[in-house]
Amino acid sequence: MIKEYAHIAIVALILLTLPLWLNFTTATDILVFGLYAMAFNVALGFAGILSFGHAAFFGVGAYAAGLALRYFGASVWTAIFWAVLCASLVALLMGALCVKKRGVYFALLIAAFAQMFYFLALSPLRFITGGEDGLKGIEVLKLKFPVHADLGHPAALFGFIFCILIVCILVMHRFVHSPLGSLMKGLEENEPRLRACGYNTNAVKIWAFAVSGLFSGVAGALYTVNLGYVPLDSLYWLNSGTPLVMTLLGGMHTFFGPLLGAGIFIFFQDNVSVYTARWEFFVGALVVILILIFPGGILGTVKEKIAQADEGDRQGIWFWLKKLS
Amino acid sequence: MACSWPCAGVPSVVNSESKMFHIPPNILLMQAIIGLALGAVFVLLASGLSMIYGLMDVVNFAHGVFFMLGAYAVYQFNLTLGNFWVGVALAVLAVALLGALTEISLLRPLYKTGNLLYPLLLTFGLALALPDVVKMFYGLMPMPVNYPEGLQGSLLVGPLIVPKYRLFVIVLTFSVMFSLWLFLKKSNLGMILRATTTDKGMVDAMGINVNRVVTLGFSIGIALAALGGAVAAPMVSVEPNMGVNIVLQCFVVTVVGGLGSLGGAVVSGVIIGEVVAFTSLFAGGYADVVIYFVMAVILLVRPRGLFGELSRE
Repeated sequence: MIKEYAHIAIVALILLTLPLWLNFTTATDILVFGLYAMAFNVALGFAGILSFGHAAFFGVGAYAAGLALRYFGASVWTAIFWAVLCASLVALLMGALCVKKRGVYFALLIAAFAQMFYFLALSPLRFITGGEDGLKGIEVLKLKFPVHADLGHPAALFGFIFCILIVCILVMHRFVHSPLGSLMKGLEENEPRLRACGYNTNAVKIWAFAVSGLFSGVAGALYTVNLGYVPLDSLYWLNSGTPLVMTLLGGMHTFFGPLLGAGIFIFFQDNVSVYTARWEFFVGALVVILILIFPGGILGTVKEKIAQADEGDRQGIWFWLKKLS
Repeated sequence: MACSWPCAGVPSVVNSESKMFHIPPNILLMQAIIGLALGAVFVLLASGLSMIYGLMDVVNFAHGVFFMLGAYAVYQFNLTLGNFWVGVALAVLAVALLGALTEISLLRPLYKTGNLLYPLLLTFGLALALPDVVKMFYGLMPMPVNYPEGLQGSLLVGPLIVPKYRLFVIVLTFSVMFSLWLFLKKSNLGMILRATTTDKGMVDAMGINVNRVVTLGFSIGIALAALGGAVAAPMVSVEPNMGVNIVLQCFVVTVVGGLGSLGGAVVSGVIIGEVVAFTSLFAGGYADVVIYFVMAVILLVRPRGLFGELSRE
């Protein structure tokens, strides 16, 4: 267990150094989307549940936080609380409704439900959500507890989001390594067998999905805090593909893979888009290449290489990485 | 995101106070025809998607992109050759060929992994990348495709107004679907295709090259999508993201009809087309979302769709 926490500490340290070689904006974006991708991976990589509707949880979290901040003058913590509450409720409901459908039907049904939220924000609830323009008018936030900080300052914002991310990582880690987490893994590996062992696989699915939605909601809230407004696009179903691509990039079956994937994706987005508006082409091409050659993603392939490294290859880098990790 | 669809043929005659009975029947009929034309495009798309899923167990996320390519191809051929009909035929052939190449080079290597997630994700990657390729060549502005001569305007049958082009789309789609049905039911190759959707291993054991059958089936599915795009081109705005907007709706139609069932795709396409058309007449803003309600209701009540097969793991 100590090894695992050491890993988390190393990752935390690396994240802390991000603003040194990237600017604060990019670094903070990476933190937010890293959380989103990791939340998504709780469902996909650890429980085997594919969903194209995570934009609903992210977006609901973002709007919940935004509404709380804009209309109720809430503190940041309250906003996050409401985001967590709403996003997990939505995930619980959607999961419970759709749980009996298999694989791709589930994913598409969730996407369709997610699109309903998009539409709700676009049209009928336009007077509170701002419709196509998104939710604006959120004022620069001040943090009162546990320290005083002006979140308008990029470094403070980064620090705040970093702390929340680390807390979420610790909780997610605990969850994934809990008995329920093991059940999730069983779900991913061999569902009929899990059922044959007497477990209620539907309940496991719903829980996994709800947890995934919960952390996506936190990511959404942090997105709002980071951006200062809520774009309507955060609810659009195709943007559920963003955490998917990040997870694929970094490694679907690894814990930190999505975080790495998010880093690379955001880096790409911010730097390639300087040269061309066609950066989505590169992302799409990257997905295609990854699936064909490295379906395990970066971390997945690295882990594979490490696992395969044996005593005979004492000079190899993989062998020494194995000794270290 | 107003109803970007070809159901805005009729200026909304409904204000908040008028009721259904105040709408003259010829307007209702015209909207029904518009709905049927919309349904026809859905049918083309959904049947293609259904066929691909039946053959490969893969939900083709790139389906919308091939729809878009069909529309752009018809724009290009129309521009360079000046003839709409030749343009449509060439567009379908060209995009179908592209589909075949895609399947052979990108999807086939993934079959041996046995993991159904990877081909799906690959098509998702294509759906991200290809619109940008189109943007590189054609930019972001919508491209105009004119109605062909002879099909502009409407027929006046007594008091009824029937838009000519929509009628053409309906007739074309049902002819194509009928031919497809004939092909699948009565021809040898059609029988092989059907057998492959049911039991790929057995077809392989019979000595038939299953890879080629799958490529053929995939190309037919893509050809249908391209045809949908080609005929929809004059009715909608031809722009790079038109595929993205349509693909989820297309999924809904397919899933409601039942993944893998062609008959289901036809019935479901028609129903949903009409639902969208009439919703946009009575409650314009909700036209885009009513589809999702329909899908939610149908899937919750009948999980495999209207005509879907029972268990497909």
